[in-house]
Amino acid sequence: MNFALSIPLEHVFVLAAALFCTGLTGVLVRRNVMFVLMSLEVMMNACGLAFVAAGARWAQADGQIMFMFILALAAAEVAVALGIVLQLSRRFDSLDVDSADEMHS
Amino acid sequence: MSHAWVNSVMPHLVLTAGLMVLLLVVAFRRSHALAMTSTFLILVVAGALIPHSLAAGSEEAFGLIRVDGYGQFFSGLFLLAAIVTVLISFRYLDQRASSCEEFYMLILTATLGAMVMAVASHFATLILGLEILSISLYAMICYPQEGRLPLEAATKYLVLSGVASTTMLFGMALIYAASGSLSFSALGQPVDNQSENYYWLGQGMLIVGLAFKLSLVPFHMWTPDVYQGAPAPVTGFIATVSKGAVFAALLRYAVMSDVLSNASIALGISIIAVGSMIVGNLLALLEKNIKRILAFSSIAHVGYLLIALLVVAALDDPEIARETMMVYLAGYFLMTLAAFGVISALSISASDQDTEQLADYRGLFWSHPVLAAVLTSAVLSLAGIPLTMGFIAKFYLFAAGVQGALWVLLWALVIGSAIGIYYYLRIVFTMTQSESTDGSVRANAIPVETIVTVGVLGAAVILFGVYPTPLIELVRGLIGAFGA
Repeated sequence: MNFALSIPLEHVFVLAAALFCTGLTGVLVRRNVMFVLMSLEVMMNACGLAFVAAGARWAQADGQIMFMFILALAAAEVAVALGIVLQLSRRFDSLDVDSADEMHS
Repeated sequence: MSHAWVNSVMPHLVLTAGLMVLLLVVAFRRSHALAMTSTFLILVVAGALIPHSLAAGSEEAFGLIRVDGYGQFFSGLFLLAAIVTVLISFRYLDQRASSCEEFYMLILTATLGAMVMAVASHFATLILGLEILSISLYAMICYPQEGRLPLEAATKYLVLSGVASTTMLFGMALIYAASGSLSFSALGQPVDNQSENYYWLGQGMLIVGLAFKLSLVPFHMWTPDVYQGAPAPVTGFIATVSKGAVFAALLRYAVMSDVLSNASIALGISIIAVGSMIVGNLLALLEKNIKRILAFSSIAHVGYLLIALLVVAALDDPEIARETMMVYLAGYFLMTLAAFGVISALSISASDQDTEQLADYRGLFWSHPVLAAVLTSAVLSLAGIPLTMGFIAKFYLFAAGVQGALWVLLWALVIGSAIGIYYYLRIVFTMTQSESTDGSVRANAIPVETIVTVGVLGAAVILFGVYPTPLIELVRGLIGAFGA
């Protein structure tokens, strides 16, 4: 099995986890909706990396197939998200997510 | 690949083909009525093919999906919810968007995604169905052309749902790394000690992601805002189809992968369940907006439903859990759709926001007696009053919980329901009060198809509450004859 993956599995997962946490921090901290979407994209790619590494461990193609799924999902999500961002900038005159926070109990 | 396999996914195929047809129809002729009628027909045909698909045999195709009585029951429920949504959206959208045709394609894609989740037995199909459903919902939420609240709701849902999906995906990658399989049934135990950590961390992340999607406490913060901001027919669709699909998939996953045999996972889910029942009901007491009340009520109901999930581990008998889940969700679908149907009907000619303040509902019993009666039956059913569907559903849950000896959860269920009665009855009480002075909401006439739709839903809530045998026999027949 080792011929398929000469880098230890843990190292790849540590990198993927670091990417995931970076993205999550970005989603929580950033106020500009474009940066929030970019951070989401980083999280998606962290999942893709984890899947590729997991697939390499078992020498199966499944991990890479899941990665392609994730790419397609991310593209579909961004297509809709950018439409929403356009409308946000038009109706709220701002890309700041805090400006779109009018609903409260 | 055999011929039987094609027959067993016929409803899904019809929905997909119908979507293409609708796309072409809209390209050549833009007509709201035509788009609505064709969507209605596509959904009805897909629903009519469900018995046919079951007769084709329950086969696990490519290890990706498993078409059985359990999955197809939920597919039928999702199609029913979609039909109701189509009927109540028609006039509502007419007032709010200049081109409404694409909305019906989004309903079809969202329903297709939910139906894929109902039969998914593999991580790839699960995430694919979930994303088809969620991405369609983002666009449906912000469909009205005016107003800022739908857009705010769509943005919040987009970001939080994205975070939930990635959390689930990362969990799936960890489980795959530890067990070497993406299929629910082959998810073995982790191969070695080092993999064990990956495996349980992955299961934890997967459950957190699903809890986000189900809006369980402590991941519930987005729910009231999305429910309030989304157009009322779409809110009804989210409350039923999106939650039902996640639950259908979650129970199948729990049964096939045996994840609940781990004591700490089961304990974590129990804590989430108790928290959702209590917190959901308590926060609903503070609200004066009926959509937000129903949002918190849905958090509580999803908490109740987790009892059915935990019965799997407690009893080691998935049949009881399946039956409870199917009966409860069928009831929950009917009463929630009835409630949001009434809200949509009253909001048809409301300007910027829906008719959602409790004060707007004063005197409804005199101005719109039918709508008031339907809303009363829906709300009483949500509270679990006898002679309504909600009572039968809660009784089922209670019986299953007693068999599984889940005493703490049952106490939370009793306390939660007791708190709930207060705010549910407040809605009924408001409708009997004398009418507010302006009465602007009342003046408008309600279209016939909306009255008939919500009337049928309200009648079904009472009818199945008085005489639930047909539903229970259907559920038992589907589980018994077509296996799982």
